[in-house]
Amino acid sequence: MAIFKRIGNLMHRARVDREINAELQAHIEMRIDENVGRGMSPEEARRDALLRFGNPTATRERVMGADAALGLESFWADVRYAWRNLMKSPGFTITVAVTAALGIGVNTAAFSSMDAVVLHPLAVPQMDRVVTIAEQQDRSGNSGVALANYEDWQKQSGSFEDMSVRTSADMSLTGAGDAAHVNAKLTSASFFTVLRAQAILGRVYAEDECQPGRDAVAVLNYGFWQRRFGGDPTVLNRKIELDERVYTVIGVLPKAMQYPSEADVYLPFAPTAQRLANRTAHDYLVAARLRDGVTMKQAQAELRAIAGRLARAYPATNLGWSVKVESLLDGINGDMTPLYYRMIMYATLFVLLVVCANVSNLQFARGIARRPEIAMRTALGASRWRLLRQLLTENILLGLVGAAGGVAIAGIYLHLILISMPARVARYMSGWSNTSLNGRVLAFSLLLAIAAGIVSGIAPAIEALRLNLVEQLKAGSRASTGSGRGKRLRSIFAVAQISLAVALVIGAALMSKGMWGLLHVADAYEPQKTLTFNVTLPAARYDTPQKQAAWYRASLERLRALPGVTHADVTTALPYTDAGWNDDFEIENRPVFPGKDQRALHLAVSDGYLAALRIPIVAGRGFTKSDSFDSVPVAVVSRRFAGQYFPGQNPLGRRIRMSAGEKKFEPWVTIVGVAEEAKYTLWDPTVYSAVYLDAAQIPPPSATYAVMTNGDALALAEPARKALAGLDPALPLDTVETYERLIKDSLTGLMYAAAMLGIDALIALLLAAIGIFGVMANLVGERTREIGVRLALGARREDVLRMILRRASRLTAIGVGSGLVLAFCLARLVANLLRGVRPDDPAVFIGITVAIAAIAVGSSWVPARRASRVDPMQALRSE
Amino acid sequence: MAKTDLQGTLDLLVLKTLAQNGTLHGYGIVQHIQSASGELLRVEEGSLYPALHRMEQAGWIAAEWALTETNRRAKYYKMTAQGRRQLQQAEESFDQLVKGVRAVLRYA
Repeated sequence: MAIFKRIGNLMHRARVDREINAELQAHIEMRIDENVGRGMSPEEARRDALLRFGNPTATRERVMGADAALGLESFWADVRYAWRNLMKSPGFTITVAVTAALGIGVNTAAFSSMDAVVLHPLAVPQMDRVVTIAEQQDRSGNSGVALANYEDWQKQSGSFEDMSVRTSADMSLTGAGDAAHVNAKLTSASFFTVLRAQAILGRVYAEDECQPGRDAVAVLNYGFWQRRFGGDPTVLNRKIELDERVYTVIGVLPKAMQYPSEADVYLPFAPTAQRLANRTAHDYLVAARLRDGVTMKQAQAELRAIAGRLARAYPATNLGWSVKVESLLDGINGDMTPLYYRMIMYATLFVLLVVCANVSNLQFARGIARRPEIAMRTALGASRWRLLRQLLTENILLGLVGAAGGVAIAGIYLHLILISMPARVARYMSGWSNTSLNGRVLAFSLLLAIAAGIVSGIAPAIEALRLNLVEQLKAGSRASTGSGRGKRLRSIFAVAQISLAVALVIGAALMSKGMWGLLHVADAYEPQKTLTFNVTLPAARYDTPQKQAAWYRASLERLRALPGVTHADVTTALPYTDAGWNDDFEIENRPVFPGKDQRALHLAVSDGYLAALRIPIVAGRGFTKSDSFDSVPVAVVSRRFAGQYFPGQNPLGRRIRMSAGEKKFEPWVTIVGVAEEAKYTLWDPTVYSAVYLDAAQIPPPSATYAVMTNGDALALAEPARKALAGLDPALPLDTVETYERLIKDSLTGLMYAAAMLGIDALIALLLAAIGIFGVMANLVGERTREIGVRLALGARREDVLRMILRRASRLTAIGVGSGLVLAFCLARLVANLLRGVRPDDPAVFIGITVAIAAIAVGSSWVPARRASRVDPMQALRSE
Repeated sequence: MAKTDLQGTLDLLVLKTLAQNGTLHGYGIVQHIQSASGELLRVEEGSLYPALHRMEQAGWIAAEWALTETNRRAKYYKMTAQGRRQLQQAEESFDQLVKGVRAVLRYA
C-alpha cells in the first residue's frame, strides 16, 4: 500500500530528502552539460538551466509530498511553529488558556455528571436492551404487575431473553450493632441475569434458591456494604438477622450496579403457590431483557396481545388491564432529571460560546499585530489554505492547552460536588457515585477543545488572511489598524457575549429565586425547630392494630415528656415532603362511578398534629384524646375535600371508607371536622384533597415523627432515641433530621442545577465584561491619533469621554436587547422545570438588565478615560 | 465515460515514453517528450518530478540509481507490470477523450 510506504518514508525523511535533492540536482547538471555542448558559456548555461527548472525549493517540497505522507509531517511542523509563536506572547497565551480552561472545565464537569447520572447510571451491559414492564388500567398511569399475569407473560411471550420480578420489603436489621431499617428487594434469580450483574464479592443467588425454605441467603448492595459493614471483605458467610429471620450473606454487588437505587439487600423471592395465582395484587415490578432484534414496540405489542387474551379468560380481574414497556434508562431517569441536565448542558455550552467569542476577540487584536508576518509568508509563496491551517492549528493547540486546564478544573469541581452531596440523597441517585473523569468524558473535552479552537479561530484567521499584500509590505512593520470589517466583527463578538451573559444571568436568577421560594416554602411550620424521623413497625412483632396504636401512644407520651419539647406528633406525611399517598375512597350511600377518580391524600396523624402544625379547624372538631381504638373511628377532611365532594352540604356526620379499590375493608369513618388546606407536595403544584385519620384509631404500619422544640432541634435527637429505645430497643429510627434539612435534601438536585447555572452565569458575565473592555481599549488605541487631532482642534475632554462611552453604550444596548430575547426563551424553559418561576418576572428582568448594562458600560470607563487623557502633542508625534 | 485529466495526460506521456525507451532518467523523459512531440510539448520539471515520485509510490514505475554516459549519478525509471496495465488503460481513456472532444468540436 502506497500510504504505508509514504508513512515509512516519514521515518527516514533526511535520506529521502537527500535523494530528491540529488535527483533534481542531476537534472539541472545534465541541462547545463547540454547547454554547454550547444556552445553556451558556463555561466549562461547554468542561468538558463536554473531558469528553466523554476523554483527548486517548491518542486522539492512537492516531490516530497508525493513520497511521504506530508500532511502529517507538516502538521507537526505547524504544531511546533504554533507552540513557538504562543510562547512568544505569553500574556495572550495565558489569558486564552485560562478562559478556555474555564469554559471547557465547566463543560467537562457538567458532562461527566450527566454521563454518570443520565447516560450511564448503571454498568449494565447492553442496557438499551433492558426494559421495565408495567401494567396499566384503562391506559392510565403505570401500575405494578400481578404475579399470575407475570407468570403468563413468561410462558407465552417470545420477545424476551429473560424476565425478572421483584418486590420491596421494609425490614429491620438486628443482631449487628444498632437496629437499622433496611430496604430489601425480593427478586427472582433472573433479576441478576437480566441486568447481567455479577457479584464483586462472592456470588448472586441461583434459581434453586428462590424456593421457600432454601431462600435464607442475601446479596448486599455496594453502598449498604460500605455503610453498614465498612466494606469488610469477610462479610461473606456472615449471618444477618432481618425481621428476626437469619440470612447468610453470599455476595456483594458492584458499585455501578446500584439498582434500584434505594436497595440495601437483595433476597431471593420465593412466592407461595397461592401468591403465584394472584391476579389482583399489582405489587410487583418486572424488568426484562429483549431478545436480539426485537424492538420495544414489538415486545409491547406481543404483551398487549397476551393481556387481551388474559382479559377474556379472567374478565373479573383482568378486564381493562394493558401493558406498557419502557426502557430501563427512562425508568431510572424519570422525567425531570434529564431535563435539568439538558438545561445545565445547554447553559454550559453557552458559556463555551462566550469563551469562544472572547478568544476570537483576542485573536483579532493579535491578528493585526501579525499582519507583517503573514504578508511575508504569503510573499514567500505560502498558500492561503496553508496559512489558514497554520492559524487554526495554533488555535486548536490553545484549545488543547485549555482542555488540559479544564480537566483539572473539572476534577476539582467534581470532587467538591461529590463531597457536598448528602449521602442520604446520593443513595437515591443511581450512578451518582460513579461520577468520574472517564474516557467518555475526556473524549468529550477533547472534542470540545478542537471544536472551540476552530470556532474561535476561523473568523480571525480568515480576517488575518484578507490583507492587501503590497500595502502591507510597503507599510513594513509599522503598526497598522485593522480593517473596518474586522472591527465590525469584533463588535459583533462583544455584543454576542453581552447577550449570552444577559440570558444566562437572567436564567440563573430566575432559577435561584424559584429555589429560594421552595427552600422557604415550609417556613410557617418553623422547620428549623422541628426534629423528624421515621419509624417502621416490624409486622412480625406489631401484628395487631392494638399493638401498633399502643406503641404510638406510649412513644408520644415519652417524647412529650422530654424537656424543651412543645409538641410531639406522628403523621404519615409532613407538608411539602411529597410523601403522601393518594388513595381511593368511597362515600357511604353514594355509588362510585367506574372510571371516575375519587381520590384523596390518606393521612394518619396523632391527635395533636393539626394543632402542632397550626392547621386550623374551620368546622366541627379536631381529634381528641377521647378518640381511641375503642371509640367510633372519625376523620377530619380538608376544606377542598368538603367543597369537592359535599358542595353546599354539610360533610359533618357523613361516613367515608378509604382504600376502596383495594378491597381491604378499612372501616367506615365518620367526618367530624373540616381543616384548612395544607400542601403536601413540593414539586407538584396541585393541592390535593386530604383526609386525616386518627393514628390512635387506624394506626399506620410506619410513620414520621415531628418533635417540636423551642431550642435546637438536633440536640433532641439523642434524648429522643434514648426515650424510644427504652420502649423497644430493636426498633430503628430512620432519617433523623430537622424538618428544614429534610426539605433542603429533597431540593439537592435543584440546588445543584441552580449552582451550576449560577457559575455559568458568573463566568459569562465576567467574560462579557472583559470582552467589551477589550473592544473599547482596542478602539481607543487605534483612534489615539484621531483623538489627538480632535483635542488639538479644540474638542473638550468630556466630549471625547462621551464619544467613547456612547459607542460602548450602543454595543451594550444591542447586546442587552438581543440577550433579553434569548432570556425570554430560557426563562420559559426554567419555568417549565420549576413551578413558581414566572418567566416574565419583571423585577428580575429589569434588575439584571440594568446591572449588566452598568457593568458593560463601567468596564469601558477605563479605556474611555484613557482616551480623554490623550496628550494631543504626543499622539500626533507618535505616528 | 472516460476518466481523464491533465495530470492523467502527463502520466500517460511518461508511461508511454518509458514503454518505448526501457529505462530513462527524468531529464531524458523531458527530452524525449519534447523531441517526440516535434517540440510541441514541453514538460515542466515542477510537474514531472512530483508525478514520477507519485507513480513510483503507486507501483507503476520502479527506480534505481545508475551512472549516465557522462558519468553522472542519476535516478533511472522503468515501467513495472502494473504500469503496463495502467498504460493500456490510460491510452484507452485518452482515445475516448480525444474522440469525445473531436466530436464536440465537429458538431458544436
